[in-house]
Amino acid sequence: MKQILYIEDDLEIGSWLKEDLEERGYTVTWLKSGDQALEMVKGVDLIILDVMLPGLDGFTVGQRLKREEPNTPILMLSARTAVDDKLQGLQFADDYLTKPFHPEELSARIEVLLRRFGQAGPNEIKVGHLKVDVEKNQIIDTRTEEELILTGKQHYIFLHLIKHANQILTKEQIYESVWGEPYMEGDKTLMVHIRHLREKVELDPSSPKIIETIRGIGYRIKQ
Amino acid sequence: MKLRNSLLTKYLLIILVAIMILPLSFPVISIFVFMPLNMGGMKENIYQNGVDIEKLWHKEAKKLAHSSKKEINQQLSELHKTYKEANMFWVDESGNTQKTIPETLSIPKNWSPSYTIEFMKKSHGVTADPFTVVAFIGENKDKGFMVVQVPRSIMISNGEMIRDKYEHLFLVGIIFIVGLFIIVSWIFFYKIRKRLLRIQKAMTRPTSNGIPEPLDIKKMDEIGQLEEAFNEMIKELESSRIREKEEEELRRQLIANLSHDLRTPLTTIRGHAYSLRKESLTDKGKQSIELIDYKVGYLSQLIENLLSYTLLSSGKYPFYPEKTDISRLLRTSIANWYPTFENKGFQIELDIPEEPFYWEVDKQWFERIVDNLLQNINRHANSGKFVAIRVEIISENPVIIIEDRGEGMNGESTGKGAGIGLSIVDLMIKEMKLAWKIDSTERGTRIMIGSVPFS
Repeated sequence: MKQILYIEDDLEIGSWLKEDLEERGYTVTWLKSGDQALEMVKGVDLIILDVMLPGLDGFTVGQRLKREEPNTPILMLSARTAVDDKLQGLQFADDYLTKPFHPEELSARIEVLLRRFGQAGPNEIKVGHLKVDVEKNQIIDTRTEEELILTGKQHYIFLHLIKHANQILTKEQIYESVWGEPYMEGDKTLMVHIRHLREKVELDPSSPKIIETIRGIGYRIKQ
Repeated sequence: MKLRNSLLTKYLLIILVAIMILPLSFPVISIFVFMPLNMGGMKENIYQNGVDIEKLWHKEAKKLAHSSKKEINQQLSELHKTYKEANMFWVDESGNTQKTIPETLSIPKNWSPSYTIEFMKKSHGVTADPFTVVAFIGENKDKGFMVVQVPRSIMISNGEMIRDKYEHLFLVGIIFIVGLFIIVSWIFFYKIRKRLLRIQKAMTRPTSNGIPEPLDIKKMDEIGQLEEAFNEMIKELESSRIREKEEEELRRQLIANLSHDLRTPLTTIRGHAYSLRKESLTDKGKQSIELIDYKVGYLSQLIENLLSYTLLSSGKYPFYPEKTDISRLLRTSIANWYPTFENKGFQIELDIPEEPFYWEVDKQWFERIVDNLLQNINRHANSGKFVAIRVEIISENPVIIIEDRGEGMNGESTGKGAGIGLSIVDLMIKEMKLAWKIDSTERGTRIMIGSVPFS
């Protein structure tokens, strides 16, 4: 069970969302102010933080939490104008959602964040004929139960797409997070790697089913 | 205002002084010219007074009663040392001319009675020139006589001499006084002009905050009062600027609070509508919930747009323009929207070039523009089930084209909500010095965004 620390002062929203998240299989600790947040943050997998809080405001609380637990993702909820919040909040927050958010969207964002921070709900993700064990960093072909061996960069690219499953990533985004350096225009390296990667993971590399090309934008792995 | 501080008083004073000085200038100049000359120890002119010379001459002649010819000669030479300008000679008892000084003097060697009379006649009178004194040597008139002759031209007083020499000084003095008056007047007006220009400069050269600097006041005259009024005005301006800022801040705060207060209940409504969906409902009930959810989303976007518009139109929307790769930014923005259109079964056509092209934009703003336009398509162009985003080169400049096949901007669906979203797009595009163009018919809408104005 994944632990979520939820800090929200509005009682109606708080009680409803707590219930909703619990129905989705999370354990939720709900605080009505940020005062005790630091004491409760130990062992938590994800923090949902409202911006407008009595006492310490959400930004301050968030910054302190991030300093304390840099590896715990923080999702900000805000009912203020997006303009100020985006500039101020996203510096420490890992994601951001404005009220009135849709519960489905919140849930999707939570999953993405957990996956990104290596705390994915299910350790195994199934994509087509492949089974990915995020924790062990293994990719297993379900037809033969054999491990698929990828080169270092191919592995990184594949895992990056898996961690952002259902999201479209542009070639710049993939390149910069895998290689860790700015994407140079006209660089074909990523395309070459994707081609080689497809030869290994796709059943039919000429009509890829796992790594989808969104023409003119980038790539996506759909779960 | 105190009268003595007035510019009027000052100028009247200058004129008054000038009027008073002009008649006074004659005696004053005389004093100034003569005093130093007289005081300067200029020696009395020894030729000045004929009577003195006559007295002296007779006295000297008397003293020579018992002298020999040689002694008389010597004495004459001695006297001539003092009276260099004078001619001197003496004639003995028998009428023979003895020593003459200078020796070239044209006097006969021997004095005949007729010459003597003629000489005496010629030398007599106040107008006779040269002035001549004849004195018998000794008491008894038997030793002859001695004569001194002084040219009339040098028998003048010091004053007369100076007057002759310095007559033009008076003219110079008067010109000087008049000139002085003109210069003083000129300086007076020049200073006024300079101070007025300083004020004019201060008024027309505002500082970075748009308000001119206050002046420092040096004199409390009419111009000083003007400067003071000007400073007062600036103070007034500054305080109103501060007030304006406070009000702006208050409004901003109000907007933020309003946003919060509206969104919070909306969240609850959406949440509970979502919970309701899980109950067993009729199809009609499900439809109602869909509608509620849709309207909540719409309302929240409306709030966001309203508040953004308020901030944007009052220049409070954060703006950080930089050179940005637009094709990359477009890809990122579209990546977020792609699933939405995909889920709705839209036909999606994309043609974004691999190569970068750069515009000077604020990334957040540009994303907002794309978001607003795509949101409009999402909400209002559903019927067309088509969206295309392309970059085309039109007369050598890249142009972004966003197309849909909805009912067009005047269609039923567009309603009033799209308007503010488009107003924001318009404001942002103008602020970033881009251009845009909308072609909308009932068969679809085509929006072009470029970096140069469209013809």
